[in-house]
Amino acid sequence: MNQTTARLRCRDRAIQEILPVLPDSIRRLVSALPLSIQAKVEEFRIRQGKPLILGLSSGDYFLSPKGQLTSRRQEAYQVTPRDMEQLVELISGSSLYALEEELRNGFITLPGGHRAGITGKAVLDNGRVRTLKYLSGCNIRVSREIKGAATPLLPYLLDGRRGIYHTILISPPRCGKTTMLRDLIRQISNGIEELGFPGVNVGLVDERSEIAGCYKGIPQLDVGIRTDVLDGCPKAQGMMMLVRSMGPGVISADEIGRREDVEAIEEILNAGVKVLVTAHGSSIAELACRPALGQLIQAKWIERIVILGRSRGVGTVEDIIDGKTMRSLGVK
Amino acid sequence: MLKLMGAAMVVAASGLGGLAVAANYSRRPRELKALRSALQMLETEVVYSATPLPEALARVAGKCDRLVEPLFSRAAAEFAASTGITAADAWEKALVHYYPGTALKPQDLSILRSLGSSLGRSDREDQVKHLHLAMEQLKTATAGAEEEAARNIKLWSYLGFLGGLITVLVIY
Repeated sequence: MNQTTARLRCRDRAIQEILPVLPDSIRRLVSALPLSIQAKVEEFRIRQGKPLILGLSSGDYFLSPKGQLTSRRQEAYQVTPRDMEQLVELISGSSLYALEEELRNGFITLPGGHRAGITGKAVLDNGRVRTLKYLSGCNIRVSREIKGAATPLLPYLLDGRRGIYHTILISPPRCGKTTMLRDLIRQISNGIEELGFPGVNVGLVDERSEIAGCYKGIPQLDVGIRTDVLDGCPKAQGMMMLVRSMGPGVISADEIGRREDVEAIEEILNAGVKVLVTAHGSSIAELACRPALGQLIQAKWIERIVILGRSRGVGTVEDIIDGKTMRSLGVK
Repeated sequence: MLKLMGAAMVVAASGLGGLAVAANYSRRPRELKALRSALQMLETEVVYSATPLPEALARVAGKCDRLVEPLFSRAAAEFAASTGITAADAWEKALVHYYPGTALKPQDLSILRSLGSSLGRSDREDQVKHLHLAMEQLKTATAGAEEEAARNIKLWSYLGFLGGLITVLVIY
């Protein structure tokens, strides 16, 4: 019961952080929703001239101009050009010129670690995207800190008092990978009294500022007391920097997949530092087909593979597999 | 004796009034120049340091001439005071507070207003264009204001005293 209320309070905070960046009219509609529904919103999809869509855990809904959820398209609130203009200005903190790097990557991280993906017309420079203009679509993903989310996983990932196993969390998008990773980092960094785990130094490369939700370099979300965060740094480079500079026991990063990421991980494994990473994917078979990641799995370097899904809600642990024997550890 | 004192007071009052009007004429070009150099500072913040606008405004407020400081510090304060405010709104609110206390004319205000509507809303190159346009317009306005000042400052400083004297003569 306590956990549920704590969760609700956290979720409200997330919406409180997002409301100020929504345009007036949409802000009014969203704040008119009952708190219990606000707390379930995972995503805002705002496209110019199209209906406003809210993504909830139970599916997508339109929002009517009266501020009610509806599944009828005719009743939906239509996003106006003025809304879009205001939204762009608000998510950029009226400083679009300062966000060229972010625009190149297609998203802006909001205070609190929420991510606003954006689309528009790409401006090219020598065949590479220089920036975006005429921004017309935006997808705000609500990032929620759920303390204790990783507790059921911990007994499978701790290697006695020595540290953790090399672990990879895999799931399709929107299954709570990042939330799970954040809580895992928090717990192993703080130490876990119940399991007699003392806590280790964690080096976190937060390329998209989603895990620690850094604002001006300072984590806004709780990632533990022994965690050093390299914010906005490319993963491969960042992981090597941390290994050399901060003497971490565990190196962590979100959404690895490129060849250079895997190469950096191999280096880290050789340095005797544990890795804790996530990747997109829905099964080991799928992962094994991917050029860089497949190699990591096939070489049996990774000791624990955690598969997340949403069969029983977001963040369901579907399976935990021992990377050496490729057998399930029997979590269903 | 009493009459003489009254006459002196009329001359002094009218003379000071004239001086005040003259001071107002000399103030406008100074304000316009200060605005222009403040915008220059803002450009540096925007283009070279890519400082987010609220912070850039606060920094300019800390460095610029005290004639225009209230405008920038107010705009920065508006950002800090309410979440979910756009640059155009913050700038407009600051202008509403700043303008009545200045010697600026409505056409000067409109230069600042149109700059506000584009602040922070586009990439660097575009911001530079808008800032340069505003600076250029302020420069033209300054030239006009200086000319006007040269003509009117002398006129009003004499006119006040002379007007006072004439009044005294007529009443006598």
